[in-house]
Amino acid sequence: MKHIMLCLLSLLLGGSPLMAERGGEGAFPYDYRLETLENGLSVIMVPMSAGGLMSYYSIVRTGARDEYEKGKSGFAHFFEHMMFRGTKNYPAELYDRMVTEMGADANAYTTDDYTAYHLSFASEDLETVVKLESDRFQFLDYEEAVFQTEAGAVYGEYRKNRSNPWAVLFEELMETAFTRHTYGHTTIGYEEDIKRMPGMYEYSKDFFSRYYRPDNVVLVLVGDFNTGKALDLIRSYYADWQPGYKAPVITPEPEQSAERRVRVSYDGKTLPLMVVSYKSPALDAENRIAVAGSMLGELLFGESSEIYRTLVLKEQKLQFIGAEFGFNRDPRLWSIYAMIKDEADIPMVRQEIDRTIERFRSRPVSAERLEAIKKRLKYSFLMGLDTPARVAGGLARFVALTGGIEVVDRLYAMYDTVTPEDIREAIETYLTAERRTVATLTGRK
Amino acid sequence: MKTRMTFPLYLLIIAGVLMTSCSRNGTDQAVLLPVEDDPTVSFRVWFKTGSQADPAGLEGISALTAAMMTEGATESHSYEDILSALYPMAASYGATVDKEMTVFSGRIHKDNLPEYYPLFINAILKPAFSEEDFTRIRTDMINGIEKSLRYADDEELGKAALYTFVYDNTPYGHLDVGTVSSLEAITLEDVRAHYRTCFTRGNVVIGLGGGYEDTLLTRLEQDLALLPEGAPVQPGAPAPLPLEGRHVLLVEKECNATAISFGFPIDVVRGDEDFWALALFNSWFGEHRNSSSHLYQVIREARGMNYGDYSYIEIFPNGGRRQMPAPNHARRQQMFEVWLRPVQHQHRHFALRAAIRELQQVIDSGMTQEDFALTQKFLDKYALHYATTTMDRLGYAIDSRFYGIDGDYVSLFREKIAGLTLEEVNAAIRRHLQSDNLRIAMVTNGAEEFATALAVDAPSPVTYETPKPEEILAEDKDIEVYPLGIAREDIRIVPVEEMFR
Repeated sequence: MKHIMLCLLSLLLGGSPLMAERGGEGAFPYDYRLETLENGLSVIMVPMSAGGLMSYYSIVRTGARDEYEKGKSGFAHFFEHMMFRGTKNYPAELYDRMVTEMGADANAYTTDDYTAYHLSFASEDLETVVKLESDRFQFLDYEEAVFQTEAGAVYGEYRKNRSNPWAVLFEELMETAFTRHTYGHTTIGYEEDIKRMPGMYEYSKDFFSRYYRPDNVVLVLVGDFNTGKALDLIRSYYADWQPGYKAPVITPEPEQSAERRVRVSYDGKTLPLMVVSYKSPALDAENRIAVAGSMLGELLFGESSEIYRTLVLKEQKLQFIGAEFGFNRDPRLWSIYAMIKDEADIPMVRQEIDRTIERFRSRPVSAERLEAIKKRLKYSFLMGLDTPARVAGGLARFVALTGGIEVVDRLYAMYDTVTPEDIREAIETYLTAERRTVATLTGRK
Repeated sequence: MKTRMTFPLYLLIIAGVLMTSCSRNGTDQAVLLPVEDDPTVSFRVWFKTGSQADPAGLEGISALTAAMMTEGATESHSYEDILSALYPMAASYGATVDKEMTVFSGRIHKDNLPEYYPLFINAILKPAFSEEDFTRIRTDMINGIEKSLRYADDEELGKAALYTFVYDNTPYGHLDVGTVSSLEAITLEDVRAHYRTCFTRGNVVIGLGGGYEDTLLTRLEQDLALLPEGAPVQPGAPAPLPLEGRHVLLVEKECNATAISFGFPIDVVRGDEDFWALALFNSWFGEHRNSSSHLYQVIREARGMNYGDYSYIEIFPNGGRRQMPAPNHARRQQMFEVWLRPVQHQHRHFALRAAIRELQQVIDSGMTQEDFALTQKFLDKYALHYATTTMDRLGYAIDSRFYGIDGDYVSLFREKIAGLTLEEVNAAIRRHLQSDNLRIAMVTNGAEEFATALAVDAPSPVTYETPKPEEILAEDKDIEVYPLGIAREDIRIVPVEEMFR
């Protein structure tokens, strides 16, 4: 029961601001309320019983995708670090002290499509959190020396990651699959860009001004709290935040016309690794074929798939195989990952992955199997909604991509309607040779 | 959310009502955490056995046996069938093997309990121990050491090196997964025999939480009574030999940064009088993945040398991926541990000096009233995050049973922390912590050169690519010559290929 922990999920387009209050008649089981302030700041509130705790996510709809300028890869992630460097009202030491006094579990992360800042804390501290978060998102202020020191920590993070061969392979895969679009670099960025970060102080202020605007941010509050009071607080503290988000112009990736391959040598020992990726569509819950396509990873390569049974359990050629078919803001990749026990088997594994796809292309999936996947999607979603942090974290990508969470219900409703024919059509549409990039990594003998 | 109860579950409940008469509160054999409105049920079946029970030469057999039970076939189902059955439920089960405990855990939505339960219980009661599963799982475990641990995660490698170094020649002295040669030596018959000896009805405790019915507990009790008879003899708590001086293990490896861990055994475990005081100290000194911690401030925040710097008074497995400590690693012997995330090789000597110096300084001077008060306040609420799910709370409850702690651990922790005084904390620091006798493990490149520098206490000045405040540069002058006093004969260099061989 191993899980290939493939982290990055998916994304989407901006939804229109609206006010809504609704109950859980769809897949999402909790009541929630969505409000949009005059300055464009959206607030999603999900009250739930949580033993006096709540989570507060500030989701900036900017990620590594938005790093369109040459030499600036990794900047969204680096900037995430800078957001902890304080303001004139609450210098870093004071901010840290106040968060410490609250006993909050506070952190942040950056993905391809968004950046999330999150705190979990006792609900009685909500006003302090609103005060602190609204302040740093409006008035971030740091010295150049501090900025430069933080660049060292980011480089440390890069070094830490580099001891993992998957990170090395992933970097090459993205660069090969994308020739123009910013998905071509990983979230942490290229090493040479990270090395140059200490000299980008002025750029960092510009970055803040462009992207850290209310019309590019969504707050998600989940847990034990009163929505009316929370909204009053948010209105009070965020109202003066000036809109002015400038959406970057991201060059679309040209249509891929032929398979691409990259072989990577790893300066260490590892079992051979393989990723077979296909260009994926952007999240679109109304597109039945795209939604069916997002089910293909589990269907074809999940733990109950034929290839898993054959190559992992029976013949034991693979340490594991799995897939990640997620959602993104722009067309990105759906990927199949394999760790191979013997380098000599690389061609065979490659062939078996193709054969698996071909089998499903020529022979429709059974209704029973499709139902099993739908059921799995449902229970996987429901069982992941047991704490405020998990609810907010689980919604974050959908919020980042759409500006709201209505897409969750739409997506799960669409799952329910997917037929075996839709699955076949999704394979025809997306899992084609000309959309494919294959990356293999082998280590030192 | 509506909960659909299916027909077989009704049957089960009726049968249970007829069969049960005992109290549905926790007993010696059950740790219970009912949560009425939880739509899921959490299982943690705890066996009082762990890797310390591995016979010499067969290290890793506990982990291998548990993996065979949870990642292999049962007498009634092939593993493929099990995966297929679990798949639509989005469910799984697994085992955690630590030194002294093995816990089989699983969580299921109540809708799917009737289908899930037989799969889960059969994994414990009727593992097939097939040759095919044995080959696959043992190979995976060996690959895990030879390829992943040695070459894919230097931080975990450094910590694993430290643990075996500190507990050398004790029952804690090998990795839970064993070594390459010990795994190769284990036969399928060894696994079967280990199961019969260690996974018995005499040493099992039921952990059950969430929205379950009492009848489920009854059924579990009846089913687990079918386990092999007896109870294994519990080994005594390990008694690591007293350390003398600072001993270093350098793992030589081609790598771009140095991972650093050091520590020593302590005589304090959860529930002991001084545990709470040390917990407060540790939170201030090196709270896991928390920027407020002192070590983090000194090494990362002020100097930008790495990604994070932490300390521990209880084992914290999988620290690179977890924010809060995982339950079910309870032990009768714990260690104090410092973990510095990878630093550039040219900073390794300096970073090690900085960390040891900070430790010694707090031992000499104690915490300040201000730091004490702030940490006390922090922990009061931070502890609420330790166990937010039913599954985690159940795990903590089992650990409390292990340590003989009554009641809810988080509540007790908060109460004890609130009752501490600065004097008590500083006294506990002086009683239990020191920096003279350490085991230090580092994964690095150019180990011989580093060993030479360490052995002569060579100055280790650092330069920064970015400006630093005067007070930092002044402090650096002290750190760069801080004497570590490590003798060359106390430095061992081991090529990575020989680790855990």
